Amino acid sequence: MRKKSIIQLLILAVGIGAAAFVISFIGIPWLPKVGSEQGERIDTVYVLASVISLVIFAIVAAASLYAIFKFRAKPDDEEDGKPTHGHTGLEVVWTLIPTLLVTGIAVWSGVVVVKNDRLPADHMVVEVTAAQFAWSFTYPDLNITTGELVLPVDEPVELQLRSNDVIHSFWVPEWRQKQDAVPGILTTYRITPNREGTFAVICTELCGLGHAVMRSQTRVLPQAEYDQWVAEQQAAVDGGGDNLGKAAFVNNGCGSCHVLADANGTGTTGPNLDEALVGQTPDAVRESIVAPSAVVTEGYPDNVMPKTYDTLSQDELDALVDYLVKTTSG
Amino acid sequence: MATHVLDGHGHHHEGHDDHHGPPPPWLQRGPLRRGGWLKALWTTPLSFGLATAFICGLRALTNWDPVWDLEVLLVGWTVVVPFGFLYGLGAFDYWLYFVTGRKTLPEDHSGHGADSWKDYFRVNTDHKVIGVQYAVTTFFFFLVAGLLALFLRAELAEPGSQFVDSNTFNGFTSSHATIMIFLFIVPVFAGMGNYVIPLMIGAADMAYPKLNALSFWLLPIAGLMMLASFIVPGGAFNAGWTNYPPLAEHVQVGNLLFQMGVQWAGASSILTALNFIVTIITMRAPGMTFWRMPLLVWANFTTSMLVVLATPFIAGSQFLLTFDRVLHTNFFVPEGGGYVVGYQHIFWFYSHPAVYIMLLPGFGIISEVLAVFARKPVFGYRLMALSLVGILILGFSVWAHHMFVAGMAPWLRIPMMVTTLLIAVPTGIKIFSWLATIWDGRIHMRAPMYWALGFISMFVIGGLSGIFLGSVPIDQHASDTYFVVAHIHYVLFGGSVFTIFAGAYYWFPKMTGRMYNERLAKLHFWLTFVAFNVTFFVQHYIGLDGMPRRVADYDPVYADWNLVSSLGSFVLGAAQLIFIYNVIVSWRSGAKAPANPWRAMTIEWQLPSPPPKYNFDEVPRVVGGPYEYGIPGARHVILEGGSELSTTPEPARVGAH
Repeated sequence: MRKKSIIQLLILAVGIGAAAFVISFIGIPWLPKVGSEQGERIDTVYVLASVISLVIFAIVAAASLYAIFKFRAKPDDEEDGKPTHGHTGLEVVWTLIPTLLVTGIAVWSGVVVVKNDRLPADHMVVEVTAAQFAWSFTYPDLNITTGELVLPVDEPVELQLRSNDVIHSFWVPEWRQKQDAVPGILTTYRITPNREGTFAVICTELCGLGHAVMRSQTRVLPQAEYDQWVAEQQAAVDGGGDNLGKAAFVNNGCGSCHVLADANGTGTTGPNLDEALVGQTPDAVRESIVAPSAVVTEGYPDNVMPKTYDTLSQDELDALVDYLVKTTSG
Repeated sequence: MATHVLDGHGHHHEGHDDHHGPPPPWLQRGPLRRGGWLKALWTTPLSFGLATAFICGLRALTNWDPVWDLEVLLVGWTVVVPFGFLYGLGAFDYWLYFVTGRKTLPEDHSGHGADSWKDYFRVNTDHKVIGVQYAVTTFFFFLVAGLLALFLRAELAEPGSQFVDSNTFNGFTSSHATIMIFLFIVPVFAGMGNYVIPLMIGAADMAYPKLNALSFWLLPIAGLMMLASFIVPGGAFNAGWTNYPPLAEHVQVGNLLFQMGVQWAGASSILTALNFIVTIITMRAPGMTFWRMPLLVWANFTTSMLVVLATPFIAGSQFLLTFDRVLHTNFFVPEGGGYVVGYQHIFWFYSHPAVYIMLLPGFGIISEVLAVFARKPVFGYRLMALSLVGILILGFSVWAHHMFVAGMAPWLRIPMMVTTLLIAVPTGIKIFSWLATIWDGRIHMRAPMYWALGFISMFVIGGLSGIFLGSVPIDQHASDTYFVVAHIHYVLFGGSVFTIFAGAYYWFPKMTGRMYNERLAKLHFWLTFVAFNVTFFVQHYIGLDGMPRRVADYDPVYADWNLVSSLGSFVLGAAQLIFIYNVIVSWRSGAKAPANPWRAMTIEWQLPSPPPKYNFDEVPRVVGGPYEYGIPGARHVILEGGSELSTTPEPARVGAH
C-alpha cells in the first residue's frame, strides 16, 4: 500500500516535471538570444536555477494534487486523520537539501559575478551619460559623442555611467546585464559583446514622464566596419569644427532622440527633424529648443524633451538654430 | 466537567456591568462637545484653518514669498488636521482627562462593543469591533487599488497611448502599489489578528484597548491622504511606491501626500504591533504556554516584531525626503553632497522585511486552515514556529538584494545574495510541513481549504522566481522588468491575498454569525485562480524577453501577451465582485452559523458565533496543544459553560445554502 502510493506519487511528479520542462526549455524562448560573453555565463546560472526550480515545483504540485485526491474525506466522514506530529528525519531532510541547493546556486552565481567583473587591462572605455530622457555616449580617446552606442565585436569594454538628473538604468537584454546610472556617483558596466547586430538600449528605472520612451540602440560591428564608423564620426565632428551648430547638435546628444540625417541622428523618441522642421521659421525652431512645451508635435507626448536647453550659450544656440534651419530647408 | 478557574488572572471580570452605570464625564456633554462625528465636523475644519493661518501668517510676517506655498501647507495640514479630526472623534478623551488630573472611571467600558451598526463608526475599544472596522475599511481600499490596476491593464492592453497620459499612468501604478500594501495587505492582517488573537489566547480584549481604537482610526486618515493626491494640482504621486530620489524630490507636490500618508499608516501598524506583542506576552489564559499557542498567534507575534523594528525605517526615509523638499536639507540631493543610494538602503531595510510582514500572518492562517480541514495536527509544530523566528531574523539581512544593480558597494552583492537564498530554507520548511500536514489526512474541501491549497502552489512559484531574482547574475538581467512584476504578484497576490481569502472565509461565520455561500465562494476561488495565472504568468516571459516595468507604452512585439494579461486581469477584477456580493448577502441573510462549524479546536471556535461582547464569562483553561486532531480525548481548552470543544462533531453540519 505504502509502496504503491509512493510509486503513484513519483509518476505524478515525473509527469508534472516533464510538462514543466517542455514549457520551460522547448515551448517558449524565455530569453532573447544571448550576445555577450558575460551573458553566456549568466545563462548557465539561469539554467541551473530553472532545473532546480522545476524539480521542486513538480514535487510540491504532485504531493498536493495527490493528497487532495487520495486523502479526500467522504461527505459524511467525521473521522480525523492520522495524528502524526512530525518526523525528525524528514524535517532534517527538507532543511538540509534546500540549504545545499541554494548554496549551490549561490556559489555558482558568485563565481559568475567575479568572472564577469574582470576585464583585461587594455579594455575600451565609453562614457555613458543618462539624462531625462536620452542616452549619450562619449568615446574619450576618439573625441566622439553620439546618441547610439557602437562597439566592435569581441572587444571588452567598460561603460562608465553617469546621470545628469535622476536615476536611470542601462539595459541591453541580449547582453543580460543592467546597471543604474546614479547622479552623484560613477557606476560601471563591463561587457564583451560577441554577437553582431543591433540591440535596444532600454532605461529600466522609472525616471519620469518619458521613461517608457527612453530608448536608444547599440550596434555591434565587425572591427573593420567599426573603424569605418569611427572615421565617419570624426569627420562629422571635424566637419562641425567650423560648424558650431552641428557640433552643438552632436555634443548635446540631440541625435539620441531625433533623426537628422546630416548629423547621423537616429533617435525616434522625438520627432524626425528632417521632416518636422521643413518650413519652420528660425524663431519657431528656437522656441522648440528652449521651451519644448510651447508647441508639441502631434503624436508625441509633452514633457519628454528636457527643458534645460535654455542654458546653452547664446552663440551656441544661434548656431544650432541656424544649422537646423539650413540643413532641413532643402 | 467541573472546572477550576484560576484566580488573579481575571482582571477583566470586574466592571462588566459598568457600562450600565453613569457614562464617563467626557460623555456627559452637549452633542457638539461630546466626542463623535458632530464634534469632528467642527474640530477638523478648525484645525485646518489654524494650521493654514499659522503657516501663512508666519510666512507673511517674515516676508517669505510666496505666502501661500502648497508644499509647506500640505505638510502642515497632513500633520495637524488628523489630530483635529481624532480629537473631535473622541480618540483622546480618556487620556486628556487622565493627564489633566480630572476624574476618570477606573474601569471604563463606555466605548466597548457594538449594539447597533452605528457603534462601528465611532471610537470603539472592543477588539472584535475593531477587527471588523479594519476588515471593511481595508477591503474598500482593496477594491479602490484593484480598480486602479484595471485602468493600468486597460492602458497596457495595446502598445501606444490610449486612455491616459504617462503622468496619470505613473500616478496609477504608484498609488495602486501603495494602497494595496499600506491600506490593504498590511492592515487587513492587523484586522484579522485583532479579531481572533485575544479569542485564541483566551483574553478578554487586547492589552491596550484605547490605543487599539486609535490605531484603527489612523488608517482611514492615511488612505484619504493618498487618495487626496489625485485632486491636488499636478496629479497623484507618481515616482513609484518605492519613491526613489532624486525623481521623488522633483515630481509634483502630490508626492508629499504619499510621504506623509505613509507616516500615519506606519504609526497605525506600529501601535497595533506593540499591542499584539504585549497582549500575546501578558494576556494568555492559564495553561497557554508559548508551545501551545496556535501558529496564527506565533505568526502575528513574529510579524509584530518585524513591524516594530522595521517600520521606523520607512517613516524615516519618507521624512528625509520631506525634509529635503520642504526644509531644503540635502540628504539625497547629489548637488548638495547627498547620497542617492543611501535612500534605497533605508527604504529597503523596511520594505524587504515588509514583504514578510505581508506574508507571515498569512502563513499562520494557512496552518490553522490546513490542520482543521485535513483533520490532522500541524506537522512539525515547533519547527513551524521556529521557522517564523528564522524568517524574522534572516529577514533583516537581505534588504540589499533589491539593489544589485543600483550602484551600491559591489562587495555587498555576494553576502546579500547568500542570505537571500538562505531565507528559502525556513520558507521551504513551511511548505513541506504543510504538505506533510495534509498527507494521510481526511481532507474536507471547503472554501478556506481551496484558498489554502491554491496559496501553496502559487506561493511556491513566487518563491522560486525569488531564487532567480536573489541570484546576482540573473537579477542583473531580470531586475526592473516585468519578471519582477510577475514575481511580486505571485508573492503578494498568490501568496498574501490568497491567505487573506482563506482567513476571510474561515472566520466569516465567527465574525458575522452567518455562513457564507459555499458555491459562490468556490466560484470566486476558481475564477480568481485561473484569471490570476493568466494575468501574471505571462509577465515572467515578457519581462525576461525585454519589457521593463512601470511603462505606459512598450515595444509592439509584446502586444499579444499584454492583451492576454489585460484580459486576465479584467476577469480577475470581476471575480472579486463575487466575494463582495457573497459577503454582503450572507452577512444579511445567510444561514445562522453554529459556534464551531469547522469542528476546530482553537479557543475562538468554542465561543458562540459571534462571540459575546466580553468574550469569556470565565477564564478559559488551556490543557493541551491547539491541533490534537485524531487523538482520542485530547483537548486544547476547558471552558466553563462554553460549547463542548474537542473533536466531537457538531450535531447539525452546515452545508452550502
